[in-house]
Amino acid sequence: MKGRGLLYLGAAIVLVVYPLVFSGAFAERIGALVLLAAIGASAWNILGGYAGQISVGHAMFYGIGAYVPLLAYRLWELPPLAGVPAAIVLSLVLATLIGFPTFRLVGHYFSMATIAVAELIRIVVSNWDFVGGAIGLMGPATSRTVFDLSFKSSVPYYYLFLGVLAVVLGVTWQLERSRMGYYLRAIKAGERAARSLGVPVRRYKLFALLLSAAFTAVAGSLYALMIGFADPDSVFSLLVSVDMIIVAALGGAGTLAGPLVGAAILVPLREYTNSIFGGGNSGLTYILFGGIIMLIARFEPGGLMEIGRRLAALLPRAPRREVRRRAA
Amino acid sequence: MTLLQVVVSGLLIGAVYALFSSGLTLIWGMMNVINFGHGDFVMIGMYTAFVIVVWLHGGAGWTGPAAALLLFAIGVIVYYALIRPVMRGPMLAQVLSTFGLALFIRYAAFWAFSANFVTLPEGALGGTVNLGGIYLAVPQLIAGGVAVALTVGMYLLLTRTAIGSQLLAVSEDRNAAMLMGIRPDRMQALAWGLASAAAGIAGALMAAIYPISPTIGETLVLTAFVVVTFGGFGSVPGALLAGLMIGVVQALSAFWFGPIYRDVAVYALFVLMLWVRPQGLLGTA
Amino acid sequence: MLLEARRVTRDFGAFRALAEADLTVAEGEMIGLIGPNGAGKSTFFNCLAGDLAPTSGSVHFAGRDVTRAAPEAHARLGMGRTFQVPATFEDMSVLENVMVGAFLRHPGRRAAREAAEAVVERVGMADIRHARARGLGTPGRKRLEIARVLATEPKLLLLDEALAGLNPAEIVRAIELVRQIHAGGITIVIVEHIMEVILSLAQRVIVFNQGRIIASGKPADVVEEPAVVEAYLGHSLKRRPPR
Repeated sequence: MKGRGLLYLGAAIVLVVYPLVFSGAFAERIGALVLLAAIGASAWNILGGYAGQISVGHAMFYGIGAYVPLLAYRLWELPPLAGVPAAIVLSLVLATLIGFPTFRLVGHYFSMATIAVAELIRIVVSNWDFVGGAIGLMGPATSRTVFDLSFKSSVPYYYLFLGVLAVVLGVTWQLERSRMGYYLRAIKAGERAARSLGVPVRRYKLFALLLSAAFTAVAGSLYALMIGFADPDSVFSLLVSVDMIIVAALGGAGTLAGPLVGAAILVPLREYTNSIFGGGNSGLTYILFGGIIMLIARFEPGGLMEIGRRLAALLPRAPRREVRRRAA
Repeated sequence: MTLLQVVVSGLLIGAVYALFSSGLTLIWGMMNVINFGHGDFVMIGMYTAFVIVVWLHGGAGWTGPAAALLLFAIGVIVYYALIRPVMRGPMLAQVLSTFGLALFIRYAAFWAFSANFVTLPEGALGGTVNLGGIYLAVPQLIAGGVAVALTVGMYLLLTRTAIGSQLLAVSEDRNAAMLMGIRPDRMQALAWGLASAAAGIAGALMAAIYPISPTIGETLVLTAFVVVTFGGFGSVPGALLAGLMIGVVQALSAFWFGPIYRDVAVYALFVLMLWVRPQGLLGTA
Repeated sequence: MLLEARRVTRDFGAFRALAEADLTVAEGEMIGLIGPNGAGKSTFFNCLAGDLAPTSGSVHFAGRDVTRAAPEAHARLGMGRTFQVPATFEDMSVLENVMVGAFLRHPGRRAAREAAEAVVERVGMADIRHARARGLGTPGRKRLEIARVLATEPKLLLLDEALAGLNPAEIVRAIELVRQIHAGGITIVIVEHIMEVILSLAQRVIVFNQGRIIASGKPADVVEEPAVVEAYLGHSLKRRPPR
């Protein structure tokens, strides 16, 4: 559909030129943080939005993604980037540990397990001096080589994140159109019916989980690269999981653009409320987030994209055959 | 601290876990809904006790009933406003609804009471008791005893009373219950009220022995998850047994390995359970 | 024998929902299962389809033992089913729903789409193929379910009350569709309440009551059997369908 394609092209252009138009440390930083949030939420979206399996402990993958590279730096003075593959592998192992037993069970077991394991890991990491205990880990203060990716300005990070986001969204887009995409949506829409059609439900849930975990770990690594520091509260806490979920759900879980839309709204919003109400994870920001999540759940689980779709359907348009892009 | 003392302590707190978990399992069994905010309901019970004893200078005896009434009301309201509309919906909506509720309540408490934890003053029900060489704090003993009594009471309510059998009927077969003239909606709201009230009383009981903080709900709900999984889907007796067990496991883990392991051991056990016997101790496969 | 169920029994705790049910179905047959509510037909159905594991007894399909096999395995072997309460994928379009079925035999998107388009055409839904399933009424959903399972290219199709909730005109269309599918070479076992449908469609009828099979044979014969008449509380089986 021409209209939609034009919209995406426009969005892509805006994303690419944003730092050039809105220059200045604050705007650049916000931009990078929006993209980072979009990556994490898009990763969560693969499992939660498309497959309908709600993880409320995704912070564990994010945290591993942040910690392992920093650990590689601390132990062996490697550029943090070198630790990313190991972080991904560790996340995949953890994901299998959780998904394998719970995906054969019906109901909320998976969600319950994600929150329990995430909390378990947070406690262990907080009390384990080898990985920095409650203090956390630091990365290289300045770039020793280009591979350290330690920049003063947010702009290089912005473009790095944009590249990674493009990859994540590209993979998601391909997924949508493939058999796996159809199967995941079927699982979300009705597991029993999906089974009756030969969909190997457990296997596909696991695939989605693994893909989601891997991308989330990458998001965590990007966080560590940009911030140069990670501690249990900033990467392993429940609120990290909440951020991913609300960004995806507000924008539109199960849609390609949802997470980015959600990030573009919520990241600036959170910066704003944090600054008014004062101090880091201030109570009021999360009162607001809790309220938003309840409203989404109660009134529009499809998020803003769904609201947009409904509004678009109301617009008068010339009668023409509706061509569904996905099936094309 | 002898081993026996640790075990008995564990049993007493375990009884309180059983009390609030029995509500969670009731709702789960009836409606296949998991309340991610259940721990925060307990937290509200704790703060209710705090407000009554410390701010209003009321007697400790008021805390239980006040918490029960307050949480009963909250439970019913939450059911009608949030749960009923999303129950038939996608999993995303179901999980997010109570999850959002949990966040909302938790951070509202955070804002109202600040992050610091508070405790009830010793005076209220102070003192220790010596039971055959074991020293137990009176509040602990009361908490454990009342919790067991109420959990058993919940079970009796469900199995021996008319209203209980109506609740169970809805749990078994909603349509059949409707044909018998039972209003499933009312019963489900009642279940939410009861479950929340149980959580509230548990909170009031715990207030005397636990430090009270706004985020304690996060840990408590996980404890409840473990207890209901161990106890089996929808089983109140299972929740009682599992609650006691988890209390002991926690106490022993802390005693043998150190305070961090209190919760870590329980969560690890949870994952193990999911691998090996997800239907719980008393459940059928 | 395409399908052989032997002494299938299913208990729910102390309650025996199904006792010693036997059924053999040869290729090309059209079998009807009837019986009052709670008679065990749905339980039997679910045991055949793999949604429930029998407490005892066995189910063999196409020579393989599928007694404890998962529904996915049943589908792959060529046994498809529909659901009493239509379980279409609400937020997906008609075509997308059918594609999910088609993907079983055609892993590639293009091939799956072509196969799905063909099925959608065959069941007469081509003009609404991009409509969301959510917007369809009950007859549309039932037809979609059938199209979707047809896309899995089943050898045996289990239809669970495919005609319930339809008005007489829709029933006529639906019967026609079932006949067409059968004529196309697919063996059919259909559970139904509406007597006239079963009697006109089925070559052989199995009657359930209280968890047991109480009669089986040609429709005209079964209708006369005293046990069967009694099972329906003395009502004649040659009743007109309710308006």
